[in-house]
Amino acid sequence: MSTPTDPQDPYNTQPPSSGGYGAPPPPPPVQYGAQGGAAGAPPNNYLVWAILSTLFCCLPLGVASIVSSTQVNSKWAMGDYAGAQDSSEKAKKFALWGAIAGAVVIVLYLVLVVGLGVFGSTLETTY
Amino acid sequence: MSSTTVTHAPTERRSPSSFVRQGWVAPAAVATAAVGVMTYLGRVSPYAPGNYPTCPTLAVAGVYCPGCGALRTLHDVANLDLVGAWGMNPLTLLALPLLVGLWVAWTRRRVTGRPRTWLAPPWAMHLLLGVVLVFWVLRNVPALAPWLAPGGLVAPAFGG
Repeated sequence: MSTPTDPQDPYNTQPPSSGGYGAPPPPPPVQYGAQGGAAGAPPNNYLVWAILSTLFCCLPLGVASIVSSTQVNSKWAMGDYAGAQDSSEKAKKFALWGAIAGAVVIVLYLVLVVGLGVFGSTLETTY
Repeated sequence: MSSTTVTHAPTERRSPSSFVRQGWVAPAAVATAAVGVMTYLGRVSPYAPGNYPTCPTLAVAGVYCPGCGALRTLHDVANLDLVGAWGMNPLTLLALPLLVGLWVAWTRRRVTGRPRTWLAPPWAMHLLLGVVLVFWVLRNVPALAPWLAPGGLVAPAFGG
């Protein structure tokens, strides 16, 4: 009788690798739908904004931005294109918040110090 | 073959204005702004009190952040004093060539219309993150202040 020959495949579900079965193997699953596989340009990691926030504005936002930028590169290198895109969106958000926070700091400074003369003589050092 | 229709990756969003859509406009605007900022910083000195706000991190916590001294570094660079620039914030001085390089790459992409083809390897990004964090900690260590703190002055929270 028909005894299964392969101990790993007792019910003979796999077609023989060399043989007359006509069905070709199914195409590999497309896992990263939006990008259509490995093709496509790498996403923006907004590294410039991360560096600018870190050095000239707001440390926590800057470090968070660099972390997001790093995730973009890491995920892209691992082949996680959708994840890289997500991290890129996150990095973009941090870049935007960094720019907003920088603008707020400048405006607050102009209003408080230049406009109203608050802290006038107490500022001894600038950074 | 399977019928995978390779669609183009989403290209960078362009501004609707046809003038701005010309590749060189945005890089030229950024370059102009950078030159303007450097000129202003070179003339209006951050060494003089009251010209610029104090770093919020320093003001609140008495601790140097990785960016403390960055304005004075730019002031010194604008006046071609690289030694002084290094003494205020070496990280900023090292970041300048990187920023210029990123600007060149961006400008090339904008002008040629070609998409980004390369991302830095992850180890380089982790190195950057590590350098920033380690620099942040070490420049607040009083013993290392002569080399890493702005002007070699110990941070206020540590007895400066």
